[in-house]
Amino acid sequence: MRSLLAQAWAIAAKDLLLEFRSRTAFLSALVFTALVLAIFNFARDPTAVATIDLAPSILWITFSFAGVLALNRAFSLEKENRAIDGLLLSPASRTALFLGKTAANLVFVGAVEAIALPLFALFFNVPLLGVLGPLVLVIALATIGFVTVGTLMSSMAVNTRFGEMMLLVLVLPFLVTPVSAAASMSAKIFAARPFAEWAPWLKLLTAYDITFFVICTLVFETTVEE
Amino acid sequence: MTAIPAAERALRRSGAWMAVALVLVAGVYVRALVFTPEEATQGLAQKIFYIHAPSAWVAFLACGIVGVCSLLYLFLKDARLDLLAASSAEVGTVFLTTVLVTGPIWGKTIWGAWWTWDARLTLTLFLWFICLGYLVLRGAVDEPGRRARYSAVLGILGALLVPFIHVSVLLFRTLHPKPVVLQTSRPQLPGSMLLTLLLSFTVFTIFFVALLVRRYSWARLRDAQAQSQAES
Amino acid sequence: MPPANGGYMIAAYVAAAVIYLSYSAWLLWRSRGR
Repeated sequence: MRSLLAQAWAIAAKDLLLEFRSRTAFLSALVFTALVLAIFNFARDPTAVATIDLAPSILWITFSFAGVLALNRAFSLEKENRAIDGLLLSPASRTALFLGKTAANLVFVGAVEAIALPLFALFFNVPLLGVLGPLVLVIALATIGFVTVGTLMSSMAVNTRFGEMMLLVLVLPFLVTPVSAAASMSAKIFAARPFAEWAPWLKLLTAYDITFFVICTLVFETTVEE
Repeated sequence: MTAIPAAERALRRSGAWMAVALVLVAGVYVRALVFTPEEATQGLAQKIFYIHAPSAWVAFLACGIVGVCSLLYLFLKDARLDLLAASSAEVGTVFLTTVLVTGPIWGKTIWGAWWTWDARLTLTLFLWFICLGYLVLRGAVDEPGRRARYSAVLGILGALLVPFIHVSVLLFRTLHPKPVVLQTSRPQLPGSMLLTLLLSFTVFTIFFVALLVRRYSWARLRDAQAQSQAES
Repeated sequence: MPPANGGYMIAAYVAAAVIYLSYSAWLLWRSRGR
């Protein structure tokens, strides 16, 4: 078990170091996020709808796009370097490989979200501090669900003809539960509704994360088999 | 080498079944349109139900077959399971498309709107996306072994996703009641309508099996031909 | 007096027939064998 985690850590660290050196993916994700937030601002009429009612939608559309962009970037890095071939020859177990890649993607997407969230609060005057705890929990759970499935799909899409478009087509239906749960929960959290009102969504999202984390880890081996 | 003649025979037989099935479907059309009474409160549009509901049943059956075959393939690695899954996915997509076309048309007359994020139609929409993704994935991988493995992975994940989408949509719907123009609670169908519905379910299932067998036997024939070419 | 929505019924029945017949024809044509 220890060596599994150690291997995963090594793989994650390698991916993140690679990304940190070039930084282009991270910066482009940030610029994109700022652009999306700005467009939302220009597109709305503040007298017609209260910002706080739109806030969950804005937040999750932004995060969804940024997340897909981040996954795409990780995916093309993968394709460019064919890094996976080297890793498959190494003694690292397939499970460690999947865990490491997922962890790296999580850190990457998480970093983008960590900067996007305060930007969002700033641009739309959303009072976040009071609800930060529950909100971060929701964001974390949704991101885990999305990135886990996305990493698995990435490992398949890299070997197909259509590349990034294939990744998007594969991942899209799997976004329904994480994004709808996260958006609904965020709406309740921003409106200071009691926990009981969004507890069902929390249970659903947690069940989703556990189910797909387990399944993706189990089937990953099949996708890199030769 | 002996696989090809057997596969060709299967293909020819399936053609006859398809002809029979199409005639039966035509029969259901006549039965539903001409010999079934009009519903008093909903009008003629209610008859869409006799096409819509059986198509939905078949679509879900097809997707279930994809899920089961995908799971079995990962354990048994039998290429026939992969071909059956692929065939079921393709035929299932056709039935899903019909559900998504007839649903909104019927919905417009009941709800006053073409689309209301109704729980069942929304689930059907996402199932359609999953099936489409499955077919696109198969088209994007050339090597048969890899194609089969990738398809099986997507098939299993897709099958697992369905209950989650169902619950997500239901949870969402409880907070957003759909616009109701006409109440469509489940009335007890009078005898004649119930008979039409049962006939339709039976015939559509036969139609599905005929299409599936045709598609599958064609896939097997192609597979056998490809194998013999590789051997020679 | 039920609403006059026969047009919708026709539209749906025709659409379904088009979908099923097109696919059946396409399938039969592709798989016509050697």
